[in-house]
Amino acid sequence: MATKNSELSSSEIKISVKHLNVGFPLGEKQIIKDVSFDVKKGEINGFLGISGAGKTTIIRVLTCQIPKKNWEGEVTVAKISPEKKSNHRELLSKIGYVPQLENLNLYYDLTPMVNVEIFASNYGIDKDIAVKKAQDLLSILDVPEDTWYNKTRSLSGGEKKRLSFAIGMINDPDILFLDEPTTGVDAAKRYDVLSYLKKINRNTGTTMMIITHDLEAAHICDTVAILRAGKLLEYGDPKGLISSLPSQGQIARLTIEDLDRNKINKVRDFAPVKKVMRSGNEILEVFMEDFDINLSKLVEYCIHNDIKIISLSRDEATFRRYFQIRIKEEEEREQRFEQGGGH
Amino acid sequence: MSDLGGLIRKEFGRIRSDKRSLVLLFAIPIILIVVLGLTAGGTTTFFNASIISKDSIECSGEFPDNTSSEYAYSFMSIVKNNCTAFGLKTNYTATDESSFQNAKSECSNLLKSEVIDIYIILPENFSEVVEASKNGSINIYITYYIDGSDMTAVQAAEVALMEPLAFFRMQAGLLENMTQVIPYTEFDVPSWKTQILNYALPMMLPLIILGLDMNLTSLSIVSEGPLPRMLLTPTGRREIVLSKLISYSAVMFLQVTEVFTAIAIFDLYCLGSLFDFYLVLLVTGFCGVTMGLFISAISTTEQVANQIYLMMFIVLVMFSGFMPAELLPPWMGVFIDILPLGHSMELLSNIALKGLGIDEFHLSVVLGIAILFLAIAYIAYALKTKLKKLEV
Ligand SMILES: Nc1ncnc2c1ncn2[C@@H]1O[C@H](COP(=O)(O)OP(=O)(O)OP(=O)(O)O)[C@@H](O)[C@H]1O
Ligand SMILES: [Mg+2]
Repeated sequence: MATKNSELSSSEIKISVKHLNVGFPLGEKQIIKDVSFDVKKGEINGFLGISGAGKTTIIRVLTCQIPKKNWEGEVTVAKISPEKKSNHRELLSKIGYVPQLENLNLYYDLTPMVNVEIFASNYGIDKDIAVKKAQDLLSILDVPEDTWYNKTRSLSGGEKKRLSFAIGMINDPDILFLDEPTTGVDAAKRYDVLSYLKKINRNTGTTMMIITHDLEAAHICDTVAILRAGKLLEYGDPKGLISSLPSQGQIARLTIEDLDRNKINKVRDFAPVKKVMRSGNEILEVFMEDFDINLSKLVEYCIHNDIKIISLSRDEATFRRYFQIRIKEEEEREQRFEQGGGH
Repeated sequence: MSDLGGLIRKEFGRIRSDKRSLVLLFAIPIILIVVLGLTAGGTTTFFNASIISKDSIECSGEFPDNTSSEYAYSFMSIVKNNCTAFGLKTNYTATDESSFQNAKSECSNLLKSEVIDIYIILPENFSEVVEASKNGSINIYITYYIDGSDMTAVQAAEVALMEPLAFFRMQAGLLENMTQVIPYTEFDVPSWKTQILNYALPMMLPLIILGLDMNLTSLSIVSEGPLPRMLLTPTGRREIVLSKLISYSAVMFLQVTEVFTAIAIFDLYCLGSLFDFYLVLLVTGFCGVTMGLFISAISTTEQVANQIYLMMFIVLVMFSGFMPAELLPPWMGVFIDILPLGHSMELLSNIALKGLGIDEFHLSVVLGIAILFLAIAYIAYALKTKLKKLEV
């Protein structure tokens, strides 16, 4: 289902990044290290990573905000390179941008319609066409019609956010960039925001690149990138990434009485077990190969070894879980590397 | 590619929603003009006087003891009835030293409370000396006291006193072998025009118009949150600055037109061309707009912009010619030449009071300053947006 759009024209690459390095200055303080990826037409791409990983920096390269002297690599956005200054106007006319905070995108003292007209005029779009387009977008985004001609200030937070999306879409961009679209939105509404993005994507086929901390966003993404300390850790579709975990992401969640290090090591010693993670005071998450066959064997093994299981449930890893595992693995690997280097 | 019309519409929308600045911009000049227009009188060219005569004090020295005082009375009567620049409030005839001291302290109080502007003391033996001087030349000393806190009045009094003295000489027949000087001020505001308003306008208008337009424009860039994001559209920095220049100049045009209409209604005295007067106001306003843009471009926050505005305004006022160039050290005098207000004031007063045309030198200086600030504003804005990480 999620691949429907990208299959249509899977050949067309909208964003291409090859061996991108960014530094301030380049070569000394390296912020992005050899990052390569492609985003295909119609895809929603999510850039995930903890704070300071370099997500915004990548988007800033793609949107002509970082001077060429600070980056190197082969980059094209809608087939245009941000490398040359003379390309900037054309490149910027083909993309849309939704900043993290609405007050950077909206004139609160003017009406939503006027806001839309202003930005339309930046692209040289005729006023009448802009109004028509704005009406369509605001309808798709369920911004109530009776607010269109009030001051933007009086809109609710969610409505402002959606107006901001509409403005990002006003020039029918090839690619829409969104910086943290769900930050500052309460948990209940976060899903709404994401589904609106999905709706726009489905209605218009616009390629999207979303920067986010919010791991829930992976639900609507066709591809996700996990960035850590300027390096691209993983890139692919979220389902595929999850199923790259042992036992395709199947988890046995055990609640064990008086869980301690000994007991964890005991479980880890069970041959089919690939990975054990403590996820609470008494809770252990276990990944095994041949999950269905080995689950009952694991129970027997525990009983045999005097490990008292209070409860057992089987679960499928979410993307959140995947992300945590991946980051943790990376941290452990780095620690080992450092210790190894020390000796 | 992008359409300037949309950007200009946006600027008008923003200006319109800033009600407080609009009230400042359009109401303050009108209030000032109305207040000044309704204030009667002019600058101190008319003097309320008191006269103390010591002529009736008993004679001394070589003069015959006839205690004649007819000339003292005729001098008082001239001041009271014949002079255009003088009116007689009170007069005293001292007959001994103590009555003179009383009269003097009373006059001093009247001067302090501004009931009178000047008091004149006629010396002992005044009539006798006048009589005697018809046969030879003896000097007569008349003393006057004036409020030294008003510098212009001190100068004006010197000139004005010529008038009663001239009349007195004629009456007393002291005209022999003498050239009479009767002063007449040229290029002043006629007495039938609202004098305070017309004297104040050339000084005040550049200050108000430039100050208010600079104030309005000084927040135009710095207070616009979505501006950095606009640079992620095909719109360039040049279009952004240009659209602001056009919009704010248009508002300035409206303001200047309003002010001009108001002073016309309130009896503007203008010997020269009204169009020239209007044109100078426009150029001054334009200078305010570009200086405001400059402030906005170099400021990082609204607060910084307000502080820079205040500093610039004080400097502008200080070196506008309120402090005469002759009183300043030479290097400071240079500021008067390179800042706009002094030039605008000179232009306006020359047009209004002397009926001169526009002096091209002064006008080009004001225009040059405006263009210089515009250029710096553009460069500063371009640098700021290039160097600083855009907060979008
Ligand atoms: N112009 C610059 N000069 C120097 N360092 C910079 C510059 N821009 C970014 N950095 C550094 O690069 C690193 C990555 O910044 P970036 O904004 O890309 O992180 P991020 O992944 O978007 O983080 P967050 O999720 O907090 O927004 C940070 O350590 C930041 O301090
Ligand atoms: Mg960021």
